[in-house]
Amino acid sequence: MSEDSPISRRDMLRGRVLGPLLGGLRDAAASRLKPLAPEPAPSGAPPDAARAEATSRYAKSFPILRPPGAVEEEAFLAGCTKCNACVEACPYDSIIHAPVRFRRAAGTPMINPVGQPCWMCADAPCIASCEPGVLRFDLPMKMGVARIDETTCLPWMGTTCTVCSEQCPVPGAIEVRAGRPRIIEETCTGCGVCQHVCPAPGNAVILMPMAQRPPAPPADGRGATPASECNADEPE
Amino acid sequence: MNARALDRREFIRRSALTAAGAVIAARGESVGAVSLPLLQGSGGDEVVWDKAPCRFCGTGCHVQVGVQDGRVVAIAGDPLAEVNRGLLCVKGYHVGKILYGADRLTTPMLRRGDGHVPITWDEAIDLIARRIHAAPDRFAMYGSGQWTIGEGCAANKFMKAGLGSNHIDGNPRLCMSSAVTGFLSCYGVDEPAGCYDDLDACNVLIMWGNNPAEMHPVLFSRVIDRRARGEEILLIDIGTRRTRTTDHCQEYLEFRPQTDLAIANGIAHQLLKNGSWDTDFVSKHCNFRQLDPEQPANMYGKPMTFDEYAAALEPYTPEYVQSLSGVPAEKIRMLGDLFGDRSRRITSLWCMGMNQHTRGTAINCLVHSIHLLSGHFGRPGDAPTSLTGQPSACGTVREVGTLSHLLPGGRTVANEAHRRDCEDLWNVPQGRIKAAPGYHTVLMFEKFCTPSDAGGDIDTLWVQVTNPGQTLPNLHKLFNRKADLEGKFLIVSEVYPTATTRLADLILPSAMWVEKNGMYGNSERRTQQWFKMVQPPGEARDDCWQTIAVAHRLHELGHEGMKGNDGEFIFTIRDERGQIVPIWQWERYYDVNVDRHLFEEYRRFTRYKNKDLAPYDEYVRARGLRWPVVEQPGGTWRETRFRFAGFDDPYVTGGAEIQFYHSVTKDDRALVWFRPYEDPPEMPDAEYPFWLDTGRVLEHWHTGTMTGRISELRRAMPRAYVELHPDDARDLGVQRGDVVRIESRRGHIDLPVWINGRGSPARGQVFVPFFDETRLINEVTLDAHDPFSRQPDYKKCAVRVKRVPPDGQTR
Repeated sequence: MSEDSPISRRDMLRGRVLGPLLGGLRDAAASRLKPLAPEPAPSGAPPDAARAEATSRYAKSFPILRPPGAVEEEAFLAGCTKCNACVEACPYDSIIHAPVRFRRAAGTPMINPVGQPCWMCADAPCIASCEPGVLRFDLPMKMGVARIDETTCLPWMGTTCTVCSEQCPVPGAIEVRAGRPRIIEETCTGCGVCQHVCPAPGNAVILMPMAQRPPAPPADGRGATPASECNADEPE
Repeated sequence: MNARALDRREFIRRSALTAAGAVIAARGESVGAVSLPLLQGSGGDEVVWDKAPCRFCGTGCHVQVGVQDGRVVAIAGDPLAEVNRGLLCVKGYHVGKILYGADRLTTPMLRRGDGHVPITWDEAIDLIARRIHAAPDRFAMYGSGQWTIGEGCAANKFMKAGLGSNHIDGNPRLCMSSAVTGFLSCYGVDEPAGCYDDLDACNVLIMWGNNPAEMHPVLFSRVIDRRARGEEILLIDIGTRRTRTTDHCQEYLEFRPQTDLAIANGIAHQLLKNGSWDTDFVSKHCNFRQLDPEQPANMYGKPMTFDEYAAALEPYTPEYVQSLSGVPAEKIRMLGDLFGDRSRRITSLWCMGMNQHTRGTAINCLVHSIHLLSGHFGRPGDAPTSLTGQPSACGTVREVGTLSHLLPGGRTVANEAHRRDCEDLWNVPQGRIKAAPGYHTVLMFEKFCTPSDAGGDIDTLWVQVTNPGQTLPNLHKLFNRKADLEGKFLIVSEVYPTATTRLADLILPSAMWVEKNGMYGNSERRTQQWFKMVQPPGEARDDCWQTIAVAHRLHELGHEGMKGNDGEFIFTIRDERGQIVPIWQWERYYDVNVDRHLFEEYRRFTRYKNKDLAPYDEYVRARGLRWPVVEQPGGTWRETRFRFAGFDDPYVTGGAEIQFYHSVTKDDRALVWFRPYEDPPEMPDAEYPFWLDTGRVLEHWHTGTMTGRISELRRAMPRAYVELHPDDARDLGVQRGDVVRIESRRGHIDLPVWINGRGSPARGQVFVPFFDETRLINEVTLDAHDPFSRQPDYKKCAVRVKRVPPDGQTR
């Protein structure tokens, strides 16, 4: 920030500064671009056993943004038949197949909001289409939570921007005070619309998929009643 | 593909870092010969940084442009620039990407049937020259406030001093010509007396139909930042629609469209009634004026006495103003009290709300008048200041004079002495410049879209750096009709396909922004310079070169107008050894800095109205300088922040506190005007019950030709919409996202509804942004215009709104 910053400009450009700050990500700038897809190590980087181990652990446990109403991850992986029904049901093509780098999760449904976020349909056709019941109406439609990077968000830096709060499909999930957006974490569903529309250079929204989702309720109540507390207006 | 993807990733990463406020820059050699003082950096990096004004709006922020391997790879706000101090708006941070849209135009294209086929530049230049040569009087040129100063100088000289034709106008006619007539009517000379420094000094900021939070966000941030630091500043929004600016204002006065004139008169009435007007200021520095009913076309009107002035204002009691405008009488009194308090520092800001107005000249005059009457003028923070929407509306159009009635440096074609002056300065024979003004924008396009045998006496039209196919009002009448006419030839110099190139017969690919040398002049009289940093793509070439090449081809064809007094081509440029450089050959165009030569020629025009500009090299060193820029005894050059104020303006003589040295009345006094409220030409009625207001949005700049190619901005604001009042939406039975048809007597479009979104119009009004080339709201707007400025009113016409069921039928 300041002119007498000890950080060299080359480091800034190469993203060597933000990396350590974000705790072990090799390349934070790149990860900001593709939060779900950490890039491979730069070619020519010396092998580093500890780092490789950390990376591999990280990749295995990397949380994945599931469609709304998803059961706990192990149960999801066990139950999902990769039948494609939710992918086809989504009217916005928001649900995609997890790519190979997601390892065990490859081929299962996920959302990458940079490409297309979840627009929080009131009738959740993805859940309605899920035969194996790993997407359920009786679970909260909470996929994750958004965070705003105040060092990148334009209003936090002193210029006008109101896009995320205007486009957010969940009433009350983004509060604006003195022109600056704040995420209300309890209300936010992690749909990723704010990340999708954020025009800040590098994107000021960090989306954290739910690390721990609730297990499915014991009885088979799938599809009985649409969960209402998270429903929002039909997107435009 | 992969390399390209990596470039883009790198680009975004760097933009991200610059957005985080990192001060990063390196020293590098620019294209030009003069070295630049750049930001301190460690050097040695492969990215070369140079300065440029932002390509978008009239604020005039400076950016640092990072170039690597012949591509712009990074943009940073320039912390050395006074205008923006390192900050940019959402558009500015992405400005580098405007160069790299996938559909850049890269080759000249000629219409064949329904499509276009590539042709060579030589063929294109020859074709244009021959058409002009065959009928020079039936040729017109339509330019832009995005023309660089050099481009404007070349086009103006080519038309007025070459072809001897005044049929050259620019899109600022649609944008700020009412501000021009306002300044001329009050002070006898165009452009604001104050500058952005007023925003740092005022403690009351009144925004008249103005939304700087979206349209001039960096300027607005200066004010909001002051408040965040604990300074007391009263923000007042006088508008017809709640906007993002309103969110920050203590006072929001919502008025019925057109009644801003009544409000201004109400304030003047209060000042007189309370005796709180500044008798000392007025007695020393003001005369009173009104229109002359016997000469209604005379912008300068006729004198009136103070008593006549007071009598004319008599009806504008707060209660009467309330009945006209809907603004409560006590708020009119509040405004009157504010203006009556000389301890306050009051700055008024306005932009399109007051300018795009069939009474634009009148409301501009009235806002100046209440500042003059109350003495809120000439101290830092006390200023009536108009903002411009384009980066060089002031620099290229108002100052260079690329309008159909103007000559450079504040001169007019109608004035014989001005014509002689310009003929001498341009070194062309006496009598070359025509006395009659050419066609203003609306008339130019009306003539172009009228059959040649039915009085449509413009057959060939050359459009540069603007998109009239989207921005003209009443498009069906003023533009779309061209499609069905024989014998009309539309030439468009553009960077991307637009609504205008759709009907073009010849498309010329242009270089843009840092692909060429350029200069801009922003809203606060600040002239800015930049150097070419990267090559334009394909065969794209500078607009200025295009003009000069056509002029030279005409010269070769024997057109006498392309010769000066010395018999030489009017754009003759010699190198240091005195050799003529054939700049009309593209490969030789950058052998010299044509921009520098054109600017140095133009600079000699600027002293007449004390708009003095410094030599080119001073601008190379500076982040812009505000005119008049006057040489100091030590050989340095000093800019002027507060015009007409004795403490700052070098042209104020005799130690006067204030001197209006270009006074209309030749007595160093400004004019305080009385202009009555009058109804607009079209008002809602039973058939068309809604007011339609149009405007811009933060994320897109004007017609979105550039910003529409930036994916971040497109995702943030993908398409146009219509804002409705919630009660009107309920009555129509529509919700957010439902489609309604907006229909006027001139056209209709269908748009999705947005309620309580970005802005909130009053009941009975709708607002539609005009950036979306797939939904042209200007097919609906009205082409009625101000009688003095000829500026159309995009802010009010009558429409009806109908729900469009999903099957697309409204009935």
